[in-house]
Amino acid sequence: MDITLQPNGAFHSALVHLAPGDLFKSDSGAMFRASSNVDNDVTTISRGGGLLAGLKRLAGGDTFFLSTFQTTDGRAGEVGVAPTLQGHLEQVDVQADQPWLCAGGSFLGCDGHMDLTPRFQGLKGFFSGENLFFMEVSGTGPLLVGAYGSISEVLVDGELIVDTGHVVAFESSLSYTLSKTGGSWLTSFLAGEGFVLHFAGQGRLLVQSHNPREFGALLGRRLPPRRQ
Amino acid sequence: MRHVIEHRPSYSLLSLFMDTGDQVLSDSGAMAWMSGPLEVKTSTRGGVLQGLKRKLLAGESFFQNEYTAAGDGCELALAPGSAGDMVEYPMNGEELFLERGAFLASTGSVVCDSKWGGLKGLFNEGLFILRCSGTGILFFHAYGDIQCVDVDGEYVIDNGYAVAWEPSLDYRLTRARKIRSFLFGDQLLLRFSGRGRVWVQSRSPQSLANFVHPFRRVRRSNNG
Repeated sequence: MDITLQPNGAFHSALVHLAPGDLFKSDSGAMFRASSNVDNDVTTISRGGGLLAGLKRLAGGDTFFLSTFQTTDGRAGEVGVAPTLQGHLEQVDVQADQPWLCAGGSFLGCDGHMDLTPRFQGLKGFFSGENLFFMEVSGTGPLLVGAYGSISEVLVDGELIVDTGHVVAFESSLSYTLSKTGGSWLTSFLAGEGFVLHFAGQGRLLVQSHNPREFGALLGRRLPPRRQ
Repeated sequence: MRHVIEHRPSYSLLSLFMDTGDQVLSDSGAMAWMSGPLEVKTSTRGGVLQGLKRKLLAGESFFQNEYTAAGDGCELALAPGSAGDMVEYPMNGEELFLERGAFLASTGSVVCDSKWGGLKGLFNEGLFILRCSGTGILFFHAYGDIQCVDVDGEYVIDNGYAVAWEPSLDYRLTRARKIRSFLFGDQLLLRFSGRGRVWVQSRSPQSLANFVHPFRRVRRSNNG
């Protein structure tokens, strides 16, 4: 499988070239173009039932629906994928001995032979309306991540605190704990501060320049209320 | 008339440099700035009925503005409503189909007319598409990056991402296979067939709106 990044201006996208036998998995909403010999099989990811997935859909996070693409006629094909928001893409070449964790909203796709394991962060996440779902990507192959804004790579050695809305993906060698930024839960809530991840250890971390949740809130509060 | 598209592909802006007698037709909201003796005539090109048809059926502005240079050295800057890419498409008597809202401007005798997209377009951005024809240059734009695909056989484009296509291509609306379609709203695909070019945008305004929607406050009252 060969992936051509199309880093055009503020709106990056990627064209995935599928040889016969290649599989490519992506977030189900990411595909915007494909050759006609490509089959798209959609599956859901949830942990022992549909409740969490349903809650996530209501919370406006990811759909948790995965598309698996492959060619059907023994010939080569292509699939174009792009995220929703304006921003950059990056390809991570995942090695077998070093799985990656990818924020749910940043996961765009990966080689279909790799293993995907959802990592839910428990109920804390729902109180904050936060997108606390990570996709663990293991195996050998390319992983595509999309950012809102631009992507920077940080080499963590020791400790680092990152707002959850700015985390794109990181090596699983890093340990992380979720917490609020400071003060009591109430002040944290009133101040509108997000939750942060405390990273520790050594490993690569990709962060994005802008926070999708902040952008959503910026627009959302200027729009008339919606019905339940 | 000279023109330049600046700041492609993210923040495309069209600047036209016009001399006496030069004419440009544009989407009515597109004028960003202008200088020199330019005469602006707001017209319902093709008559009121055509204008109404464009407005009601294809979502285009009722009015298109016609700019005519009454002297030399005029400048007209036209900006699309969103960030994104722009394409200049020289036409010499052929036709091109545009998704609604993609039209920015045209020169020469190029005009746009609403065309019934057929029931196959029922779930697309609009029931109607724009049919552009004439001789001159057509400028169209889209939110996101614009990519040109040479179709020979069949090609699939997600509903809402097709910007423009040549009339040699036929298209039909299909559902992606094996989809649990009740879970989605956006699993309709446009399947183009034949030989010709289609232009695709890499971002969807509808997807962006869907992203923002859950961030709206929830109405509390029961009778709302």
